[in-house]
Amino acid sequence: MTARVAISGASRRRSPVTAAPATRQETSTTAAPKLRYIVVTLAGIFAILGGQLLLSISVSSGAYEIASLKGEMRQSEQSLQIVAEEIGALTAPDTLASLAGSMGMVEDNNPAYLRVSDGAVLGEAAPAAEAGQGQIYTVTAGTEAFVPVQIVTDVFASLSAQAAYELSAEDALRAAHVPVVESGEAAIHTAMVTQPVPVATFGGSIPSPITR
Amino acid sequence: MALALVLVFVTASLLMTKLVDVQVVRASELQGESEAIRTTSETIWASRGSIVDSFGNDLALDVDRYDVSADPSVSGDFRRAGETLSLEVALSEIADITGANADEMLFAIRKDPEARFTYLVKGVSPEVHLALRELGIPWLQMDLVRERTYPFGPVAGNITGMLGTDQPLAGVELDWDECLAADNGVATYQRGADGVRLPGTTETVVDPVHGGDVVLTLDSDLQWYVLQQLAEHGSRLGAEHGSAMVVRVSDGHILAAADWPTFDPNDFAQTPTSNTGARVFSSPYEPGSIMKAIGVAMLIDGGYTYAEEKIVAPGIFRLYADRYIKNYSVAQDTQLTTAGVLYTSSNTGLSVLSSRMPRATATSYFQKFGFGSATGVDFLGESNGLLKTGDGLDIVSRYNQFFGQGISVTAAQMAGSYQTLANGGLRVPLRLVEGCVSNAGVLVENPVQEPIRVVSQSASDQVIRSLETIVAQGPLRNVLGIPGYRVAAKTGTAEIANSQGYGAERVISLAGMAPAENPEYVVLVSFYKPQTSRVSTAAAPAFHDLMSHVLKHYRVAPSSEPAVLPPVTW
Repeated sequence: MTARVAISGASRRRSPVTAAPATRQETSTTAAPKLRYIVVTLAGIFAILGGQLLLSISVSSGAYEIASLKGEMRQSEQSLQIVAEEIGALTAPDTLASLAGSMGMVEDNNPAYLRVSDGAVLGEAAPAAEAGQGQIYTVTAGTEAFVPVQIVTDVFASLSAQAAYELSAEDALRAAHVPVVESGEAAIHTAMVTQPVPVATFGGSIPSPITR
Repeated sequence: MALALVLVFVTASLLMTKLVDVQVVRASELQGESEAIRTTSETIWASRGSIVDSFGNDLALDVDRYDVSADPSVSGDFRRAGETLSLEVALSEIADITGANADEMLFAIRKDPEARFTYLVKGVSPEVHLALRELGIPWLQMDLVRERTYPFGPVAGNITGMLGTDQPLAGVELDWDECLAADNGVATYQRGADGVRLPGTTETVVDPVHGGDVVLTLDSDLQWYVLQQLAEHGSRLGAEHGSAMVVRVSDGHILAAADWPTFDPNDFAQTPTSNTGARVFSSPYEPGSIMKAIGVAMLIDGGYTYAEEKIVAPGIFRLYADRYIKNYSVAQDTQLTTAGVLYTSSNTGLSVLSSRMPRATATSYFQKFGFGSATGVDFLGESNGLLKTGDGLDIVSRYNQFFGQGISVTAAQMAGSYQTLANGGLRVPLRLVEGCVSNAGVLVENPVQEPIRVVSQSASDQVIRSLETIVAQGPLRNVLGIPGYRVAAKTGTAEIANSQGYGAERVISLAGMAPAENPEYVVLVSFYKPQTSRVSTAAAPAFHDLMSHVLKHYRVAPSSEPAVLPPVTW
């Protein structure tokens, strides 16, 4: 600014006649920009400050969100692990074997196969022996007997509860003098139709086995 | 007026001095102090890799657990939902959830009321952790820890080994530690007065490195079944211990390798150390007559005999003046074929045949079958067994070796030699570990070892046909036979050496393969020091149950070709 004024001063000294209008013109063009500059600069500064404020507010509120989401994620991971551990316990071979045994399943080591192409029976099928099946042996020495985890005990409990329910349904049916047609199976069938057996939930983790 | 000016000036300069002192002179010191107050560091837990079976079932894995502790200095009454609850009530609630003893916890807290920390229960599950958190007890603290669990308990404990407090102690856990090991990370961050992380302050100082997963060839369902059979038959026999293996013939994969009694790697503190290892790999024994099948295969391959060759098995085979070999029951000379030597398990007949083979040739065959050196598995602490060679091979052992005395082998070596027979004489080194799946999900395969040609296809076929006679026609046919399948198997009753020579105790074994026309699986089962019966026939029911289960489990089609078996006598 000062440099420009000095130059215009110098030009005024050199040609005083033409200097006056030139100076007027110059001041009118420089005064307006000064105000504009100030306004623009201040507005810019405030905009930047405001923006920064907003940004830091949003960042810090984001931090709270992140913290709560992280907590949520942690919790989900944990539920996943809880369920995975339950699945692990339920799929353990001895759990499956004793569950199968408690449903009255026995192992048959003499299977036969039906060949689809020609209907031939391969192998010699033999009925499974019932005695001595389904027993689970303790395979460790020097440690206490295996204690199944809670979920396994729960499943066993609901299984036996269901079995007990079915038995009592059968008894109730007999007591009510519903004609028992030859086989007990038909009677149970009737009972199932007229009064559906509530499905045990097993904590929603495994499908309810229908043993009849 | 002047006084006021002076006052203002003095106050201002005092403030200025303080300002400069705080902002400039001690700035960095104060800033550091405040940062230290705000900054906390945390462990970023890294998971040790899992050990999985060939179906991806976890045999060993890391899980989250919590250590529950209390601050005794503030443990006492607290308010919840408008009620004041006492320490005793809180502890009984904790006891109900965790199953811990309330009195013990009370003692831990009362012991030192000034203390700021005492453990109440260690290692509770996430479920329990959530339940405890809902109690809203202000002085209760729960810290995350990682714990190793073995979901199937004792099923594969002998193979996986276990983890001690800090380091792996045995088995695959120790042998493959380089793959499994994880390094916890450390992070620092600053937090505000309310405990929330200040944005942009989290700094990972050390990155956590998760471990890789080790993939085994085991089939845990089968392994469980095998273990159950060992327990059932082993306790029936009153045996000291028993081992069994199932090997897939085509690739030498070990599908089951069980030892009974075994241990639960989740809880092994009370288990005698004799039960915490893998006897299949680590404890060598004299196998007895199951070795005869190997001996005959060597003799046929070397051109010293063939399955139908007619020989006379003497009642007594004299080695020198007062040393002779006799048979288990037959005292007179018998007209046998070479197949018949296996069928009747004739010691003297085999000695007639083995006398034809130079001892160095025999030794090199035994070595090719894998005796005297670790199997392809190279399990941690695996025994090489003992194969006498060269000058160490005395005249008695030179003959005895052929029927499994004077040579000691591991169950794994024995199963490997039967894999060789079953695979047409081509030994595929046994395999237990498929490889390591790195934390990036890439399988780094455990190098597959080159198969070794040990005997010819014809030699192994002749031996298998001979072994089939035992199952098809022998006295054990009703026990060993599996309807619909052709099975080849050999019994073995070995004497156990003690300080006075061979005593009354025995190892009884059965080794075999099925289906005999094209063997797919090898099963080996042995019981050490059975009491109720000391002859190999006592192990037959266990072999039958295992083999028939294996055939069913893997859906092996029943045999369609009838067996053409060599004659056993003439």
